[in-house]
Amino acid sequence: MTNSAIIAIAAALAIAISTIGPSIGQGMTAKAAMESIARQPDAAKDIRSTLIVSLALMEALSIYGLLIAFMLSAKI
Amino acid sequence: MGEKSEVIISLFGILDVTGEVVTMWIMLLIIALLSLIVKKNLKERPGKLQNIIETGVEYLDNFFADILGKTKSRKYFTFLASLFIFIIFSNYSGLIPGVGLTDYVKAPTASLSVTAALGVVTFLFLQISGIRHNAKHYFMHFVKPMFFMLPLLLLDEIIKPASLALRLYGNIFGEETVTEELYHIFPIGAPVIMMVLSLLFCALQAMVFTMLVSIYLDEVTE
Repeated sequence: MTNSAIIAIAAALAIAISTIGPSIGQGMTAKAAMESIARQPDAAKDIRSTLIVSLALMEALSIYGLLIAFMLSAKI
Repeated sequence: MGEKSEVIISLFGILDVTGEVVTMWIMLLIIALLSLIVKKNLKERPGKLQNIIETGVEYLDNFFADILGKTKSRKYFTFLASLFIFIIFSNYSGLIPGVGLTDYVKAPTASLSVTAALGVVTFLFLQISGIRHNAKHYFMHFVKPMFFMLPLLLLDEIIKPASLALRLYGNIFGEETVTEELYHIFPIGAPVIMMVLSLLFCALQAMVFTMLVSIYLDEVTE
């Protein structure tokens, strides 16, 4: 394998692996939020704003992976 | 992170003006003109433009009051709202057709230098407002539960703004890059998919940034 092929695989793996954890976490968060909104529709506004913040915090993790992937793919 | 900056004009040999700075100048002009026009025709019964601006300001006021409480949010409103307005304008500037394709105009928040600067400003703001609010409480919260927590809590103060900066940069840069890639695949129509998503994400990122800053502010000024 050439060097650029290895870098390409590394970039692909960086983004692919770094999305697994946050996506599971986001799914669980969204599920819990949906359930609590269904149970208590009055609190939907508060739950929504907390949900958005926690989703954005989790999103940051996969964004770090995306950044690494971009930096690697610039080196090909 | 090696980020190349394409210098357009070099002022006095020291100040290098890049595409991001040009966009920020244009934004500055637009925001200043808008505020001047609205300020000039302030009326008891608002017109169309004043109505729009008032809705925005009221939304921001409620947004910060929910997290900080009425008195504290009014005290720090200028900084937080300016941060929000700056970030949302620079995020949306990336959606204007042509921005980002040339070196002359680029979305400011898609550059790490700009978001890192925002992080530094936020760091200084949090520390100074914490000390000015209650210096004893501020210094005590580093050693609050246990003394050996000190290095971790000191590190935490630096990591907070760094993660804020990286999150904003990564999101906007990622969006811009994906849109550009779609443009290279099929120039007409394909970028629209990502741009519609960007409409949502840009506002969300500005909201998340300011929301986290106000949560951190709430912690230091208890």
